[in-house]
Amino acid sequence: MKKFSIVGKHVPRNDARAKATGTAVYTDDIKLPGMLHGRILRSPLAHARIVSIDTSKAAALPGVKCVITGQDIPKVKYGNWRLFPDTQDEYALAVDKVRFIGDEVAAVAAVDLDIAEEALSLIDVEYVELPGVFDVDASIKEGAPVLHDYCPTNISVNRKIHYGDVEKAFAESDYVREDIFTVHAVSHAYLEPCSSIAQCDLDGRITLWTSTQVPYIIQCLLASTLEMRENDVRIIKPFVGGGFGGKMELRTWEFCSAFMAKKTGKPVKFTLSREEEFLAGRRRHPMKLYSKVGFKKDGTITGKDFRVHLDGGAYNAMGPTATFLCGNFGAMLYRYPSYSFQGEHIYTNKPPASAMRGFGAPQAIFATETQMSIAAEELGMDPIELRIKNAQVSGDKIPGVATISTCGFIEALEKVAQMSDWKEKRANPKEGRGIGIGCYSFISGGAFNWFNTQYPYSAAEVRVFDDGTAHLLTMAADIGQGCDTAVKQILAESLGLKMEDIRITSADTAMTPQADLGAWGSRLTLFNGNAVLNAAEKIKAKLFGAVSARFNLNVIHEFECKDGKVYPKGRPDRGLTFGEAVGLVQKANRGEPLIAHGYYTPRDKGLVTPAFSFGAQVAEVEVDKKTGIVDVKKFWTAHDCGTVINPRAAEGQLEGSIQMGLGYALSEQFIMDGGKTLNTNFLDYKMPNAMDMPPSEVVHIETYEPEGPMGAKEAGEGLAIPTAPAIAEAVFSATGYRCRDLPITPEKILNAIEPRERPKSAVK
Amino acid sequence: MKRLSYFEYRVPKTVEEAIELFESGGADARLMAGGTDLLMKMKHGAMTPKILISLKKIDGLDTIAFSEKTGLTIGATALLADVASHPDIVEHYPAVAEAARGTANVQVRNMGTVVGNLCNASPAADNAPTLLAMGATVHIQGAGGKRDLPLEEFFKGPGLTALRGAEMVTSLSVPLPPAGAGAAYLSLSARGKLDCTAVGAAAMVTMKGDVCDDVRLFIASCGPTPLRAPGAEQIMRGKPISDDILEKAGEIATGEASPITDLRASADYRTRIIAVLAGRAIKAASKRALAR
Repeated sequence: MKKFSIVGKHVPRNDARAKATGTAVYTDDIKLPGMLHGRILRSPLAHARIVSIDTSKAAALPGVKCVITGQDIPKVKYGNWRLFPDTQDEYALAVDKVRFIGDEVAAVAAVDLDIAEEALSLIDVEYVELPGVFDVDASIKEGAPVLHDYCPTNISVNRKIHYGDVEKAFAESDYVREDIFTVHAVSHAYLEPCSSIAQCDLDGRITLWTSTQVPYIIQCLLASTLEMRENDVRIIKPFVGGGFGGKMELRTWEFCSAFMAKKTGKPVKFTLSREEEFLAGRRRHPMKLYSKVGFKKDGTITGKDFRVHLDGGAYNAMGPTATFLCGNFGAMLYRYPSYSFQGEHIYTNKPPASAMRGFGAPQAIFATETQMSIAAEELGMDPIELRIKNAQVSGDKIPGVATISTCGFIEALEKVAQMSDWKEKRANPKEGRGIGIGCYSFISGGAFNWFNTQYPYSAAEVRVFDDGTAHLLTMAADIGQGCDTAVKQILAESLGLKMEDIRITSADTAMTPQADLGAWGSRLTLFNGNAVLNAAEKIKAKLFGAVSARFNLNVIHEFECKDGKVYPKGRPDRGLTFGEAVGLVQKANRGEPLIAHGYYTPRDKGLVTPAFSFGAQVAEVEVDKKTGIVDVKKFWTAHDCGTVINPRAAEGQLEGSIQMGLGYALSEQFIMDGGKTLNTNFLDYKMPNAMDMPPSEVVHIETYEPEGPMGAKEAGEGLAIPTAPAIAEAVFSATGYRCRDLPITPEKILNAIEPRERPKSAVK
Repeated sequence: MKRLSYFEYRVPKTVEEAIELFESGGADARLMAGGTDLLMKMKHGAMTPKILISLKKIDGLDTIAFSEKTGLTIGATALLADVASHPDIVEHYPAVAEAARGTANVQVRNMGTVVGNLCNASPAADNAPTLLAMGATVHIQGAGGKRDLPLEEFFKGPGLTALRGAEMVTSLSVPLPPAGAGAAYLSLSARGKLDCTAVGAAAMVTMKGDVCDDVRLFIASCGPTPLRAPGAEQIMRGKPISDDILEKAGEIATGEASPITDLRASADYRTRIIAVLAGRAIKAASKRALAR
């Protein structure tokens, strides 16, 4: 393992002080002179044709400055899969048709929020209601209502993966396991609701401050929907209070604030309410997963047939990527000599599902892991032993995907068994207690280019100064996950500077280098970290040249930047301070600023990702068999994220992942009546809070990823995956109830362990 | 969420002044103690009073007083947080303190009041079942004078109370529990530790030796108001506490409640849980009684 001075240390995060003291400025905190307040009129119907919209009364209300509908805007559809324009199925405001309750129909900008709200009630929309479909089975039936004319089957994406001969594998298996799993939708529930504010300058250029994970994607899609040039649109990402995949597309309010700012000449701000977020916000894909796996007597896996229906809701959103990744994650963790996947993304009249922390993996791996535990039981093997027997290892090739360069999975399994006292607890279970395991693998950023950009996947600019400081510019979006801190650590380590020597400007598309595909798929530490390193190397080459010339050194010397100095290794006396070296380079070049651009685009790493993380988690639960209430007592996690850049930040990711996994497994769900979401506040949307967090222990398995910056790979998203299957297996070992249908509710547990007739008193 | 619509904010100094304002405001006026329920309803546009009358500045209305003779008095503006931590309540009425401490979260407990929680008349109100089980009385004052009402007769339906015209609850009192009595409240919900109650049960049990001499049992969140379970009480009286009798009492209590399916639980689940929680509440109360 390499020795670092800043990487791997408990460095306080850049944003900690601002957030703790309340001085961090989020989008909704921004107030511009003359600013108007926007509100959105949403469809009350799940599926309907719009006959007419009369905005005259709303427009006549004193204080209302602008009212727009789908008829007033350029008819440009958008979506993140620009490479496949067919998949771009959304207008900023509904044209002709609404497809879910909450679909955006019109927007108002007024001098204050109350007037804007009142104006919404004055807009008359005449609808003709159409029959709706609310689940995947109904949607793909012959004769089902069609949501989008271009897609008569309601199946908008169909992805297949095949390698090996699955049928032959099953025929040669001693044991074949076949199950159907269903998983439900949950909310990102980021604490900062979506918000954006736009300003139009006298030259007609737009500046949009917005709560987003993807400034560059917003820049491009906003420009195309406004029919402007990309460089005439500037996106600034202020502090963002979480995204988790829910803020990675151009959204209606972003378009409307820009369009209305252009139209009125005044800044326009939109901020969603929590109720809007729950009613119409993006969510994790519900899925129906059919999985068939073959085993030899000794537990060796022979093959897997995996077929998934994703309930996409009314638009594609990030569904195509989720479909794609679901298929890839279905083949991760274990060695499948043959594998067959078919994933279909299906439209329904519900709020669109999209990317959400894990991006297809929490669903796919819930199925994988639950099935592995079932198989272990039926094969009479310990669940961890069966996993170790089939675990992927460094150097494994996944056909058509990649070679796994580093993999600490077996070490993680062994470690977590030891930490949790697995053997003893499985052998001698206490009454009402159970212990279970769940595992994960995740990508370190996507290598696919469906956004169809000519720019690098991540870029950085490093400026250095003769006072010994540096300025790092990057379009990477820190949305609370801490990438600003991580890349500063990487730059400080590389240039031998201290954290306080580095200024960072990030995520302003007019200032920071083109481009960055954004904060999703756990890509920034590896992608942006590599771009930063690339720029730093170019700076260092110049500094080394200057020091070499200054001391007339033999050209064979290797140099080093450390502790604010630049010197040849082995001759530290022949060195300069960092600032002196910068000054020398500038002097030699007639004062030219010393600036370097770095970039990273994965090369020859397949179509999925340059590196995979791995990990295992054990949960211990206590179940009250009379009420079905599950109390999670403790989590033990061992994970391989390569070099840990910032241990405290990694642990923060784990805590957040456990909180989300806990909700996914046990308490969170959208309660729907057809297409209507009924629980639209935090009282009835049961997200776990601080008081529900069980204690947790973690061990980082040390690997050094050659493709990662200083050996690092992803640490933020994969950890959200193992919690639900670990809890499900623990509940099974405590009660005998095997969950194939998330979430695990007290009622399901009771019905399984103590089935009984429905009592008379419950009839009403 | 809407912003608050226009309203007049009045801050009377005496109960009489508050009642006068309340009477002259008629249907447009609302009384407010902590405002933790009322302001949320206003923000969602579910309620649009034109006059808000804050009770916070009325001297002495936040009293918490205890004497062996008269028992416990909790004033209309006494905070949940203060009730939860008051040494006399913790000592003599631990179940009352626990119910207050189990209500919502720190922020709400620092603003909200026990009496407000009762006047909001939610079937899930966390403070109601214990106070009902302990035989609390509400003290009411209106333009026509004062009257006292057993808490048991106070709740009339979701959001509805026995208050008439310009009446307000000025305080509530809880008698000193009889010798050998203990009380307990148990509640359950989907999110574990901080949530709106899906099913609750409170009991006060008076023990004579090993035998349950008397019991008052109330079920929360399983009907339009917290419901008493007289049949379950009856079967317990005069019997030693055993799992068999608790099971029987639970079964009877189940029949005495009328749970429905809503966002927080299904009728079926509630039905199954009433018996469990009723039995456990009686058991916990009896344990507390025996420990006294």
